Amino acid sequence: MNIAVTIFLVIGAFFTFVGALGVLRMPDVFGRLQASTCIATLGTINIMIAGILYAASSHMSAGVIVKLILFGLLVILTNPVSNHALCKAAYHMGIRPAKGFEPDDYAEDFAEAGEAEDEVKEEA
Amino acid sequence: MTALLIGAIIYVILDFALLYRIFKGPTAADRMCAADALDLTTATALVMYSLYTGRAIYLDVGLVVALLGFVGTVFVSRYLEGRI
Amino acid sequence: MNKNRFTDWLSTFILCFLFWMLLVFSVQPREIILGIVVSAVIAMVACKLLIHESAFYLYNPVRIVLLLFYAVCIFLIELIKANIAMARIVLSPGLEGYKPGVIRIRGAKNIKSLYGLNMVSNSITLTPGTITMEVAEDEQGDNYYYVQWASVEETDREKAGEIIKGRMENWIGRIWR
Repeated sequence: MNIAVTIFLVIGAFFTFVGALGVLRMPDVFGRLQASTCIATLGTINIMIAGILYAASSHMSAGVIVKLILFGLLVILTNPVSNHALCKAAYHMGIRPAKGFEPDDYAEDFAEAGEAEDEVKEEA
Repeated sequence: MTALLIGAIIYVILDFALLYRIFKGPTAADRMCAADALDLTTATALVMYSLYTGRAIYLDVGLVVALLGFVGTVFVSRYLEGRI
Repeated sequence: MNKNRFTDWLSTFILCFLFWMLLVFSVQPREIILGIVVSAVIAMVACKLLIHESAFYLYNPVRIVLLLFYAVCIFLIELIKANIAMARIVLSPGLEGYKPGVIRIRGAKNIKSLYGLNMVSNSITLTPGTITMEVAEDEQGDNYYYVQWASVEETDREKAGEIIKGRMENWIGRIWR
């Protein structure tokens, strides 16, 4: 059982390492957001599974296992909301990648939003 | 089990990498993105430490840290978007 | 109308109280009384936000079983594939394959409810490499997702939708019909 716990811990730590390295290396905000999703998904789920196995094998109380499941569920449910809000805020602040977005359908269909931002900046 | 303690230490070391991005990041959105990831890694490290010591209070602390990080990120991104 | 609001409140109250009992995990009377008071207050505020269809729409057992099956068998495989693709981009020396773009993909016709739209966009956001920025509806009643994609492989919108959504949307259409 200890070997299974260690394997899950190693996989989780690897994906968290990938996420943190992506946050350091990516050239702009959008790439960093994409990389930080790795931390929230497989990084947390694997630690949760390892914790459940460890708590079940070392006879901890059932409340610990329920709390671990709730922790994983909470991270999985709340992370997409904050990522979506932060991505939209970065887009509306006027941040673009170095080469620009290759197809940019959002700017075509919601053109008034981008123009309004530009006018505000000119006035300021 | 020592593997849990080593995992918690690795997560804290990764926290310092994210902290570097918070200090350096060119825009506010970069800093907030790194801070959101830092919340998650800190909460996970607390969960592993609570399993290592066997004290359930750290598990509650980890849950609350994860929840408050979510609320803070949503509020700051609303502010950056100009809705508040 | 008044009765309708009460069943909304009751269904939200049951959900909140279940969550409280799982989090506290003891059956002492003072915990139970405190939980009843807190979840009654929260349910008064949150019932308008949570309930859109009939009040006990969420408690269908077939739907819960399908939801668990979707989360474990379908979504987890997509998640692992996307994570490995993201790891390959990050660990490559010069960040090869990082080409950001915002693309518009069309949603399926049978997903109309807010729960279904929310779940499709959250599933897209949760796979590393894609983030949903906006969900919009046009005059014909079709729903469009604006997805920010980290490595654009396909600029044709129909094929891009196939790649991004994969098998997830079929199953979500089966859950929230």
